[in-house]
Amino acid sequence: MHDYFLFIGLPYVALFSLIAGTVYRFNSKKFSISSLSSQFLEKEKLLWGSVPWHIGIITILGGHIVAFTMPSFLQALVSNVKILYTFEALGLTFALFAFCGLIILFVRRLRNARIQAVTSNMDLVILSLLTIQILLGILIASLYRWGASWSTHTLAPYIQSIFSFRPDITYITNMPFVVKAHIAVAWLIILLIPFSRLIHVFALPLEYLFRLPQIVVWNSRRQEESVITAQIESESRRFFLKAAFGITSGLILFITGIADKIIPFFRGPELSKGEKGELLKQKLQKMKATIKQKELETERLTKDFIYISDLKNLKTDEGIYFIDYQMKPALAFKGDNGLPILYSAKCTHLGCTVTNKVKEGALLCPCHVSHFNIKTGDVIDGPAPKPLPKVKHILMDANNHIVVNIDKSKLDEYKVYIVKGENT
Amino acid sequence: MNIRAHVSVVFHLDKCIGCHTCSVACKNIWTDREGSEYMWWNNVETKPGTGFPTQWEDQENYKGGWVLENDELKLKCQKSKLQGLLNLFYNPNMPGLEDYYEPWTYKYEDLFNAGPSDDQPTAVPISKITGEQINIESGPNWDDDLGGSNLYAKNDPNLENLSQEEKDLMLEIENIAMMYLPRICNHCANPSCVAACPSGAIYKRGEDGIVLINQDKCKGWRACISACPYKKIYYNWKTGKSEKCILCYPRLETGQPPACFHACVGRIRYLGVLLYDADRMPEAMKVADHSLVESQRSIFLDPHDPKIIEAAKANGISDEFIDAAQNSPVYKYVVEWKLALPLHIEYRTSPMLFYVPPLLPVMGKMDNGIYEHAKEAFFTSIEKARFSTKYLAGLLSAGNEEIITSVLKKLLAVRYFKRSEQLHDIDKGAVEAIMREANLTEKEAEEIYQMTSMPTVYERFVLPPLQREEAIETKLDPEVCKGCTGCGELNTPKRGL
Ligand code: HEM
Ligand code: SF4
Ligand code: FES
Repeated sequence: MHDYFLFIGLPYVALFSLIAGTVYRFNSKKFSISSLSSQFLEKEKLLWGSVPWHIGIITILGGHIVAFTMPSFLQALVSNVKILYTFEALGLTFALFAFCGLIILFVRRLRNARIQAVTSNMDLVILSLLTIQILLGILIASLYRWGASWSTHTLAPYIQSIFSFRPDITYITNMPFVVKAHIAVAWLIILLIPFSRLIHVFALPLEYLFRLPQIVVWNSRRQEESVITAQIESESRRFFLKAAFGITSGLILFITGIADKIIPFFRGPELSKGEKGELLKQKLQKMKATIKQKELETERLTKDFIYISDLKNLKTDEGIYFIDYQMKPALAFKGDNGLPILYSAKCTHLGCTVTNKVKEGALLCPCHVSHFNIKTGDVIDGPAPKPLPKVKHILMDANNHIVVNIDKSKLDEYKVYIVKGENT
Repeated sequence: MNIRAHVSVVFHLDKCIGCHTCSVACKNIWTDREGSEYMWWNNVETKPGTGFPTQWEDQENYKGGWVLENDELKLKCQKSKLQGLLNLFYNPNMPGLEDYYEPWTYKYEDLFNAGPSDDQPTAVPISKITGEQINIESGPNWDDDLGGSNLYAKNDPNLENLSQEEKDLMLEIENIAMMYLPRICNHCANPSCVAACPSGAIYKRGEDGIVLINQDKCKGWRACISACPYKKIYYNWKTGKSEKCILCYPRLETGQPPACFHACVGRIRYLGVLLYDADRMPEAMKVADHSLVESQRSIFLDPHDPKIIEAAKANGISDEFIDAAQNSPVYKYVVEWKLALPLHIEYRTSPMLFYVPPLLPVMGKMDNGIYEHAKEAFFTSIEKARFSTKYLAGLLSAGNEEIITSVLKKLLAVRYFKRSEQLHDIDKGAVEAIMREANLTEKEAEEIYQMTSMPTVYERFVLPPLQREEAIETKLDPEVCKGCTGCGELNTPKRGL
């Protein structure tokens, strides 16, 4: 039960608090946002605390973000054991780095009278939570090795399930206590960000990289406009380029991140060698089919008669498919009198191909169940509005002369040809 | 040409008596809040001396201002913007509390609550930060009037360029001389604080050039503290925001001079408008040290020139502003008379506060143990002035002694001229020779005398009309912009959690 609270309820409360609280604070309580630097009051310990702490925590957080947003990418990387070892070692080093820095900062805050003067209760809460969190992290790293690998198919899907609003805690319900605690404290810290000094993380002034060195603010709009025009011309082109470069590279990174998720989604899972061969085969077949179709087309454009079949091969109960002059499928049967019956196989309803089996004297269109009389082509039932059109044809004898008078005894020698023109 | 108006300032150092009235006026208005007790937006230093914060001129330590590298101006504290971001976590060039002083008060209630005893009750000093008793080891103006000069004055960074002999001469007890250097923010035309602020919270006002910090935008990254070579941005340890001199813009906008100007007992302060060509900034700061003063002067434009007036109007500068520029005492001191010089222009921020250097004449000297009026000349010759021109040049002309000499010659010539005019005890011919050498006409000498000794308050402060409310509000739709002008939304400036 409390799993549901800690890993579904708490995360959503935390995310809501993070977003709403940060937006509120950045809009209505701007003055309260600051790094709240205490360097002015005490330098030395801050240097040995703040620098390792920030280097450590920013790297570690970066690693977490990569693991949660691009698990497949990370998994691919750490499938190489050397890379896995490197990640594991680096992670632990930076975590220890951060931990040492944090302890120095914490002790400084508790011991130095000047720093005490600028310490709020929330500062102490945050420092305690961070200490616990880092300790838990280090414990996990040492007790349950290879987190860079196992997290990609446990924690990452959990985090993603939270963010895709389909929370699924089955990934983590069976995790050891330390891991669960680490997750829960993380949500707690996220919840507190807008109400603590941690808000400074969102104040990171990246726009500094792209702005002009001087900033001028005008009270009078009119004056501003006339001056700005002059300024833009002289100075900003260079900076525009820089900014464009920055934004582009940012975008590229962003898109690579997204693409890492989207491309596999559309492409489906990575193929094995056998599957790849299969795919190639299919492609080849498709190309062959295209060639075939083109051949048929040219044949129909250049010839007045096209051979379909020997009459003796036609059957009464099962038609032979062929392609008519409209490049559409058609069917050839033998009638009860031994003469051929040729229908367009294109259903007159919505154009499906009619089946070639004759059942109870009727042909079936499988799409919306229209039945056509095999003898006349008329609609027996179903939505089809018109009978199947007949395909014009002729018979040729063994010497390739058009048969004018049918000789019943020579039926087996005759060949069926279709004739250029519309079906009727 | 992109003409802008700049409210700028002249301090006449010969007139400063070092009374600190200006500092106190400022403190009472602006910096008596928690976290700002140690700030002195206006302070008065004794030179030679280490200043406030101590040795602020030592840019090898604090890395303020700009440096010229391959014809590019680079911030000395951040060679690249990336370095600026890396310095967020720890600023290696920032002065700490110990470089200023720990603000304190006294435990006055001890005086009232003390029981009967044989000794006088005392009020012990307590820190205004921790509330604990402290030993006062430094304070504002700790080396005021050369107090403890052996310890402090000899650490003056400006003495570095002087030979040992010259140094000894300046610090020798009989020869010892001093001057006062009142300092506020220079509201530079090429401010390094603005360029260094990662949040983009510091800006120059377009209409008057005042440099301000947007307290809502400031995130306490502290880059400006080291970037300002004059150390005129202070970090409020309580609110976690930087603060600085605002040239009392709320007073200016209601037609009053800034508080320190108004309070100044020596009447050393002048305020007026300069017109300058914003397109030539920062290029004008990219010349060799010894040409910097001239280069800066060359961007100031003659407000009487009809062409300039036309261009100024095209840029939206109002008639009243142009009027103020024409009557500006600053224009006279800086451009017409070339008497006022920028402080440490080698930092290349193009400060818009100019100082008339002190003449410090030797009025007498020791002879056989008896102090006598100097006989050979009424006023000392410049060579014998108590402050070597080299020292003054280090302060006010980026080491260019010629500039200092010509200024001092002019100041001296004015004195000869007035003395001979009023008391007739100096030979006319000698005065004329001196005037010729100083390149000074009688008319100019009279004007300089009037502006230096006899100016009315309206001659010292020629305020342009800065009706901010009018400028903003007439152009905004009141429906769209509720509460976004004037004072804006009132939020108590409380430290964040
Ligand atoms: C995004 C980049 C970050 C920047 C630029 C930054 C900058 C700063 C600065 C300037 C300070 C004040 C140091 C001083 O007293 O002078 C600070 C303090 C602090 N930062 Fe960060 N920070 C960043 C990221 C983070 C992150 C990701 C965390 C942890 C989640 C963090 C946790 C803290 C804490 C706990 C303190 C208080 C230290 C103390 O007790 O004094 N920061 N940070
Ligand atoms: S003197 Fe004023 S304008 Fe100049 S750099 Fe310092 S704070 Fe900025
Ligand atoms: S297409 Fe044949 S029944 Fe609809």
